Amino acid sequence: MSRSWNRTTHVIVGAATALAVLTACGGSGEDKEAAAPGSDGKPVSITFWGWAKGSKEVVDAFNASHEDIRVKYEEIPSGNAGGYAKISNAVKAGNAPDLVSIEYPMLPEFVSHGSVQDISGHLSDDVKKKFLPQAVELTTLGGKNWAVPFDASPQAFYYRKDLFEKYGVEVPRTWEEFREAAEKVRKADKKARIGTFFPDDPTTFQAMAWQAGAQWFKAEGDTWKVDTTDAATKKVSAYWQGLLDDDLVRNNASFSPEWTNSLKSGSTIGYLGASWGAGVLTGTLPEQSGKWAVAPMPSWDGKPASGMLGGSTFAVTKGSGKTEAAVEFAQWMTTTEDGIEARIASGTSSAFPAAAGLRPAARAAFDAKFYGGQDIYQVFEEAGASISPDWAWGPSTGTTNTVIKDGFGKVAGGGATIADAVEAGHDATVSELKKRGLKVEG
Amino acid sequence: MKARTRTNAAAGMLLAPFFVLFTLVMVVPIGYAVWLSLFTEKQSGLGFGGSETVFSGLGNYAAALGDPAFREGFAVLLGYCVFYIPLMIGGALALALLLDSTLARARRFFQLALFLPHAVPGIIAALIWVYLYTPRLSPVVDAMEAGGIGFDFFAPEGALPSVINIALWEWLGYNMVIFYAALQAVDRSVLEAATVDGAGSWRIAFSVKVPLIRASVVMVALFTVIGSLQLFTEPLIIDKGTGSSVTSTWTPNMYAYTAAFDRGDYGLAAAASVLLALTAALLSFAVTRFTGRKGKKA
Repeated sequence: MSRSWNRTTHVIVGAATALAVLTACGGSGEDKEAAAPGSDGKPVSITFWGWAKGSKEVVDAFNASHEDIRVKYEEIPSGNAGGYAKISNAVKAGNAPDLVSIEYPMLPEFVSHGSVQDISGHLSDDVKKKFLPQAVELTTLGGKNWAVPFDASPQAFYYRKDLFEKYGVEVPRTWEEFREAAEKVRKADKKARIGTFFPDDPTTFQAMAWQAGAQWFKAEGDTWKVDTTDAATKKVSAYWQGLLDDDLVRNNASFSPEWTNSLKSGSTIGYLGASWGAGVLTGTLPEQSGKWAVAPMPSWDGKPASGMLGGSTFAVTKGSGKTEAAVEFAQWMTTTEDGIEARIASGTSSAFPAAAGLRPAARAAFDAKFYGGQDIYQVFEEAGASISPDWAWGPSTGTTNTVIKDGFGKVAGGGATIADAVEAGHDATVSELKKRGLKVEG
Repeated sequence: MKARTRTNAAAGMLLAPFFVLFTLVMVVPIGYAVWLSLFTEKQSGLGFGGSETVFSGLGNYAAALGDPAFREGFAVLLGYCVFYIPLMIGGALALALLLDSTLARARRFFQLALFLPHAVPGIIAALIWVYLYTPRLSPVVDAMEAGGIGFDFFAPEGALPSVINIALWEWLGYNMVIFYAALQAVDRSVLEAATVDGAGSWRIAFSVKVPLIRASVVMVALFTVIGSLQLFTEPLIIDKGTGSSVTSTWTPNMYAYTAAFDRGDYGLAAAASVLLALTAALLSFAVTRFTGRKGKKA
C-alpha cells in the first residue's frame, strides 16, 4: 500500500463517515394499497404507533371485539424521546404505519410538513360535538381536521399529603401561596423541595404561560403573529426564575432517574403536571400508595385556570390507503366507553378523555387507591372546564421547543435565565417561519 | 500481453465487490446528501397546505453557516480537540511506554484492564457516566461533595471536561494497545545499542522508542482527529438524559441530527453534514500532509 493511496483513503473515509448521519434519511414514496374495511370480506389490517399508557390493552380490546379491522400496535419511544423523529422518518421513507400518536403541540408541525392526512371527510359533526371544544380547535388547522383528539390533559398539582400535613403546609391556591408553601417546605426539611422545574420539557413551562393567559401564536389572515415574550409569559418566566434563584424548587429533567429518586426519598414532595401524570406517579412510586393527593393548579388570581400539558391525538399518516379503518379505530379509542375502560383498567393510565361523555366511565375504571380514594377526576373536570381557549400552537414547534429546551439547560449553571431561553425560542421561531416562506410578524 | 490482460481481469474481479459495496454504501449516500442539501421546503398561507420542495442552490449552506448555533458547535469541537487530542495521545503513549519498560509487572493484566472500557459500547458508556455525574444519584458526586469539592458536571464550564473524560475512558486503552504493539515490534538490538551507548530509560523512551513508532502515532492522531469531529453519541445522551448545558446543537453532528429529526429540515441537515465532511477531509489531508513532510525532512 503506497503512502499516497493510504492518504487518499483516509480523506475519503473521513468525508464519508461524517455523512453517515444522513444515510438514515433515504427512501422512496411507496403507495399503499387502498382498501375499504371489509370490502372483500377479509379484515383490513392497520398498524398503529403510540406510547401512551394502556395503548396495548386498548388495541387488544378492539381486536377482540371487531371482525372487520385488525390493529397491530407497535410501541415507540415517547415523542420527545425520539418518537417524533421515528414517525417523520418513516413518513419520509414511505413505510409509516397508518395511525400515529401525536401530541397537540406537535400536530401543526406534522401538518405543515404534509406528513398527515386531512381527515375532515371522515369526522362527522356529531363526533366532533362529543369532544371538548378546545381539543377540536387544536386539531383543526386551516379549517380542516387533522387528528382525532383523545385526552384533554388539564394541569394538576400532585403533592405528598402526609408530608404537607407533617410540615404544616397548606395546599396553595395561588402562585403567591405556592411560593410561601415552597419556603415552608424547605424550612421544615432543608433537603425537601415542593416541586421541580423541568429544563428538558418546555411544554410544562408553556402550559404555565398558557394558564397565565399568554398567546404565543396567533393566525391573522395568512400571517402568523408570534409573541413568546408577551406580558403573561414574562410574568411566568420571572416567577420561576425567582423560585430557582432562591433554591425553592429543584432543577431536574422530567422523569429522569434523578427526579424519580428524589420523589422516592421524599425530598421532592410535589409535582406540577397534568391529568395523565396521576397514572405515571401510580406506576413509578407504588410504595407511596395512599400518600399522594391531587389539587387544582395554583393560579394567579385564585380562580380556576389551566393550560394544557401534552395530550394525545391520533392522526393518519400520508400515504396510508386505509384512512377509513384508521379513523374508525381512532374514534373507537376516543369516543367509546369500551375504549376508555380498556385503557384505564390497565392500571397505568389516568387519561382524562376529551370526550365529556366518557369521563364517568374513566372515573369508574380508575383505581384511586394511590390517592387515598380521592375523586381525582372531579379535580380534572373542573380544571378541564377552565382551559383557556385562546392558545394555539404554531407550525414549527420542533424548532421553538428545541431552542427553548437548549436555553433552559443553561439556567442551572447560572449562565442564562428562563427569559433568555424564551426569547431565543422566539427569534428561532420567527426565522424558521421566514425560511419556510411564511408571512410572520413578531 | 495476454498474461497482462488476464492479470487485469483478475484484479477487476477481485476489486469489484469492494467497489460495488463502496458505491452503494458510500458514494450513493454522499451523492444523495449533496442532492438533498440543494433543496428546501417552502410552504404558503399559514403553512397547513403541505409543503413543496424547491431548489435553493446554496441556500441551506448559507443558512447553516449563518446560524450561530452551528458555528458554536465548531467552537465546542475546537475546545474539545485542544484538550482531548494531547491528553489522548500523551496518555496512551505514556501508558504504552510504561508497559513496555523493563519495570513493568503484570503486563497482560494491565493491558487487558486498560483495554476493557473500549469493549463497552459508546451509548452504554455514556449512560454509565451520566449516572456517575448526576448529583444525589452518583456516589462519586456525593463523595466529592462530602469532601468539599462541589463540581457540576453538567454546567456550561463542566460539560466539556465531562465529555472529554468519557471519551478518554473509552479510547485510551484502545490507542494504548496500538502503541504497545508498535513498541513490541521495535528491534531490541536498537534498544540494547542505546543502552550500551549510555542512554537511560527516559532517553531511550523519548529519543529512540517514540521516534521509531512515529507511524503509529500519526495514525492514531489522524483517527483521533476524525473521531473528534464525529463527536455525537456521548453528548447526545447527556443532552437527552439531563437538563444540562449540553444543547441539542452542541456539536456539528448533533446540529445535523437535530435539524433533520427534531426540526424536520432535511436540506439543512444535509448541508451541515456536507460542511462537516469537508472539514474532516481538509483536516485529514492537513494531518497526513503535515506529518508526512516532517517525516521526510527527518
